[in-house]
Amino acid sequence: MRFPDLSNVFDVGALMETNVRLGVTGLRRSGKTVFVTALVDNLLKAGRLPFLDVVSTGRFQASRLRPQPDPDVPRFDVEGHLAALTGPEPRWPETTRGIGQLRVSLRYRPGSALIRTVQPMATLNLDIVDYPGEWLLDLPLLRLSFAEWSALTLELAAQPPRDRLSALWRGWLGDIDPAAPAAEDDARRGAALYTDYLHDCRRADTLLSLIQPGRFVEPGDLKDAPLLTFCPLPGGACGRGSLWELMDARYEAYKTNVVRRFFADHFARLDRQIVLIDVLGALNAGPFGMADMKRALELSLEPFRHGSSGWFDWLFGGKIDRVLFAATKADHIAAHQHAHLRGLLDQLVGNARSTIRFDGAEVETMAIAALKCTDSVTAEHEGRQLRCVRGIPVGRDRPTVLFPGEIPEDADAFPPGREHPYNFLPFRPPADLGRDPRGLPHIRVDQALQFLLGDYLE
Amino acid sequence: MSDQSHSARGVAWTPPMELDLAAAAPLPVAEEEALLTDNRLETLPTTPDLPDRPDPPPRRIGRWLVGAVAGLLLVAVGLDTADLLARAFAASAVLGLATALLVAGAGVAVVGLLIGEGRALRRLRRIEALRGEAERLSLDQHHGAAARFAGALTALYAPRVELQPALARLRDHVTDAHDDGEIVRLLDRELLTPLDRLAYQRVLRAARDTAVATALSPSALLDLAVVLWRNLNLVREIAALYGARPGYFGSLRLTRRMLANIAVAGLSESAHHVAVEALGGSIAAAISTRMGQGVINGLLTARVGLTAMHLCRPIAFGPDNQPSLTRIRKELLTLPKQVL
Repeated sequence: MRFPDLSNVFDVGALMETNVRLGVTGLRRSGKTVFVTALVDNLLKAGRLPFLDVVSTGRFQASRLRPQPDPDVPRFDVEGHLAALTGPEPRWPETTRGIGQLRVSLRYRPGSALIRTVQPMATLNLDIVDYPGEWLLDLPLLRLSFAEWSALTLELAAQPPRDRLSALWRGWLGDIDPAAPAAEDDARRGAALYTDYLHDCRRADTLLSLIQPGRFVEPGDLKDAPLLTFCPLPGGACGRGSLWELMDARYEAYKTNVVRRFFADHFARLDRQIVLIDVLGALNAGPFGMADMKRALELSLEPFRHGSSGWFDWLFGGKIDRVLFAATKADHIAAHQHAHLRGLLDQLVGNARSTIRFDGAEVETMAIAALKCTDSVTAEHEGRQLRCVRGIPVGRDRPTVLFPGEIPEDADAFPPGREHPYNFLPFRPPADLGRDPRGLPHIRVDQALQFLLGDYLE
Repeated sequence: MSDQSHSARGVAWTPPMELDLAAAAPLPVAEEEALLTDNRLETLPTTPDLPDRPDPPPRRIGRWLVGAVAGLLLVAVGLDTADLLARAFAASAVLGLATALLVAGAGVAVVGLLIGEGRALRRLRRIEALRGEAERLSLDQHHGAAARFAGALTALYAPRVELQPALARLRDHVTDAHDDGEIVRLLDRELLTPLDRLAYQRVLRAARDTAVATALSPSALLDLAVVLWRNLNLVREIAALYGARPGYFGSLRLTRRMLANIAVAGLSESAHHVAVEALGGSIAAAISTRMGQGVINGLLTARVGLTAMHLCRPIAFGPDNQPSLTRIRKELLTLPKQVL
């Protein structure tokens, strides 16, 4: 609990500031960094936010960056990323690893006349907390014992396409005996093989989403710590001193020191959450990528289902009350497909969403693009008008017109008998972004903001 | 356009591919600029499948009567005019010529008036068509159909000087990524919200005017006249504000629809509100019957004005931007204090 500085006790405005913490997460390559950069840039310039009520009603005054509240969390380097995007040679910013934080303060006139008489100008401190989506996927581990988690993971690893990727690790599992006395070499070997398998899952051509535990692929300063030196084992609990017992203890240590700490220090303090999902990437990867993404999404929804699942309730009283699942990179498809993309995301979030809406946070889905790199055009092909996108693909210097394939409206996204129905190319950021005083061009970031923060800015 | 691609998908499937850059044309959003001409308005489809009101059974005899009487009048006027002309020419050529000129002038004026009224009626119908279209568009997430609607609506407001900033802002905000529903919402927010504010102010002023006039007028007949005149004026003002500019018949039509609306939808509620507000809301109103009547008339005028807003707005009000009676009511209840 932080008390207001008493030296400016007469400055009423400072006492009446509201703080809101917005969590931004998503698996690797889902566009977190670009999203936060575009969000901040648009909030600072406020020229492209027609669907944010506070701006469109003319109540918005100004916003600026302020020092962040938590001194022990790395700052999100918005200036650096913005420079990369808007420079003379525009390029995508470096991916960020781990957590980052940034505070943007918004000044606005309250909408209600009653509040305006007390407080003509209000301030909202928006703390953006950017953390890897893998950490969100770790949260469900809190309710799983080592045996349960091992069984689930092994079952998953035996299914295609994971069976191919995990062959080495599962081969090693077949050779060892979990009940044998623990040897550090065995633990290290198993963890290394398991980590390799997880890395392979994340490669661009397979792009599987369900990576547990998350720190295995993004260890940060925990690299080679005993916390990360375990892997799932088959069979049930074995006696004292066995390999099983060692791994079980390390799994529990991981839960305590990594997952629970992240939960208490960061996640439990969030008010709103946006989860960015690269649905198009999963479509590119094929049916397996999609199925895996659905499983990962269902898992990542679990932490928001407070009210129904007990473990979450006793941990905290359910603070996050709005969650937005956003399919990113919507500019990779022609505009008339956005509704279908959103429909696909709805299918993925599916049942879990309806239960959450009733007893926990409010959940919404959207198709967005943090930075709009393409235009929708029509082009004729064999007598048919095709809706295409026009932009400069990464690695080339001339624009192209791409028909990336059409997402069906309600049918199966992968109709039988069609190899590779989609080809979504990454595009380069458009040139001369820095000259536009209105902020980075985007698709529906303003609507995302309205959903996430609209009620705070009333 | 999207329907086309839907149906075509079943026939032939197109694999992902890259196409010739030169063959690509921008999406119809740029069409909006080209649409800033009035003539495209006529192509706007009305919604034939959803009549806003079931037609009443035709009353043949009444119609025959009106037709016959109008015919008789026309014949009588025509005969009289011909007779007059003949007599004038018989008296003197100069008088005859002057009379003929007068008759011709009157004829031209009548025709001009009729044409003007016809146009005004068409404008009103167009707004109604626009509202139907907006309702249809805002419901679905399709793409491409809203460009025409946006063109029609911006064309309606393009000549208005005070709306130029809003139009510029709109052109700035609409991108090719917005779907139909979003474009309609943008038009609603950027273009119509300022108009709503103006219209609401006019309603407020008219309500205050009638209230004061009723409170101060010495005779009941006089305030009836004032209320009628002010209400008709208000309806015309609001219609003009939203771009309908109704003529005489247009206003009549609007008034008739409005009266029907008030009678059907709001009468019980309005009577309730009016009674509560007039009797319980203010002590001053309770002591002074004239004040009370003023407040009642003001509230009725406000109701008429708000209904006119509903009927003239090219995009129907949503649940969260409905103009409310509350503020007007509050304003009116302070009136006795102001007048006394």
